[in-house]
Amino acid sequence: MRSLPTGQYLPGHSFLHQLDARVKILGLFLLMAAVIGASSVQGYVLVLMVVAICIQLSRLPLRCVFASVRRVCWFLLVIWLMNALFFAAEDALFSWGIFQLSRGGMRQGFRVVSNVVLILLLGNLLTMTTLPTQVTTALESLIKPLKLIGVPTEEVAMIISVAIQFIPTLMEEAELIKMAQIARGARFESKKLAERAASFLPLVVPIFISAFRRAEELALAMEARGYRNAKNRTKRKKEPLERHDYGALAVCALICLVQFLLR
Amino acid sequence: MSKMSSVKRSMLTAVCIGLCVVLPMAFHSIPNAGSILLPMHIPVLLCGLICGWSFGLLCGLAGPLLSSLLTGMPPMAYLPSMLVELAAYGLVCGLMINLVHTKKLYADLYISLVVALIAGRIVAGVARALIFAAGRYSMAAWITSYFVTSWPGLVIQLIFIPAIVVALMKARLIPERYPVR
Repeated sequence: MRSLPTGQYLPGHSFLHQLDARVKILGLFLLMAAVIGASSVQGYVLVLMVVAICIQLSRLPLRCVFASVRRVCWFLLVIWLMNALFFAAEDALFSWGIFQLSRGGMRQGFRVVSNVVLILLLGNLLTMTTLPTQVTTALESLIKPLKLIGVPTEEVAMIISVAIQFIPTLMEEAELIKMAQIARGARFESKKLAERAASFLPLVVPIFISAFRRAEELALAMEARGYRNAKNRTKRKKEPLERHDYGALAVCALICLVQFLLR
Repeated sequence: MSKMSSVKRSMLTAVCIGLCVVLPMAFHSIPNAGSILLPMHIPVLLCGLICGWSFGLLCGLAGPLLSSLLTGMPPMAYLPSMLVELAAYGLVCGLMINLVHTKKLYADLYISLVVALIAGRIVAGVARALIFAAGRYSMAAWITSYFVTSWPGLVIQLIFIPAIVVALMKARLIPERYPVR
């Protein structure tokens, strides 16, 4: 529990690392739309090439990039099998009771699984090349238009950045409480699933109490220092987008457009 | 629970969002804990009950988003439907606790919780049927994924959430709903 399982930021100086976080988030959405919009072989070849180029541009170890896919591979196999065996198609190759293996089903399963894998990889590339604080700042900047409908965007961004800063503290706290429960006889490593699940339940209430105590202390400290709301906060520096950021965004938009033209 | 300052509500929401990332990680040694024990739902429902609908909604949106960005759980492909579900939990929980005043703390909590749990599941099911899995989603799949697979999580939520609220009140970390005069 001490380390984040997958998708954790890995420092680097690659092209993707240097891109602005706002561009990476917008680019992710555009490429996700391109993946979801793929319906032909050419469409899938295009998105596959794009994801491969992005992985190459990130200069991240392939083992780390594919770690999350490896973790869910059994789950993906189940999804593929369910689509292949239950998809109602007329071209059944084999049928036995309620199971009907068909070409249409296998194709549908392949589409669903490849969409999940590609989106997973793109999401991983974003989180592995962007610091959480950069993601927060980018989100703050991207949700600014919501101000027009009365959403307090500064407060939302402040809450998210405090939440990110709380995560390591909460993880440590959870680990401490876990140790304390082990000392009292909890069996977190038991081979019996029900016993292992039950041993986690006594963690819940103490984790919440200690987390809320920390929140109370922080709120008191902030109020004591005169903090009222995030509306009037100013930024130390503003980072405008550079030429390569605009270029990357334009390429993502172009890929999305080509994908929809290929349909 | 309405006598908290805006700063305190913000900080409690931040902690709940943080717990949306940490709790599933604490449970991750149990296979399929996410879909069976639903650890991410607990902070969202609590946030709605304690801080109100707007903060509950924010926690329901930001919690899974941040968890997906930082830990890859839930995977990006399942994130949109989960965002809708958790946002509905936080929103409805907060609205219900403001509406229901039976003068009995447990009755208020259980009514709000049960209505939110049902409303969230309906909203998520409708969203999947109409948007995220249009044409490929059935009633049987909805009942299986939201009630059959996740019944242990539902029981945990119904037992633990009121207990946590009462424990927080006793520890004076949140104000009493019906203070004894």
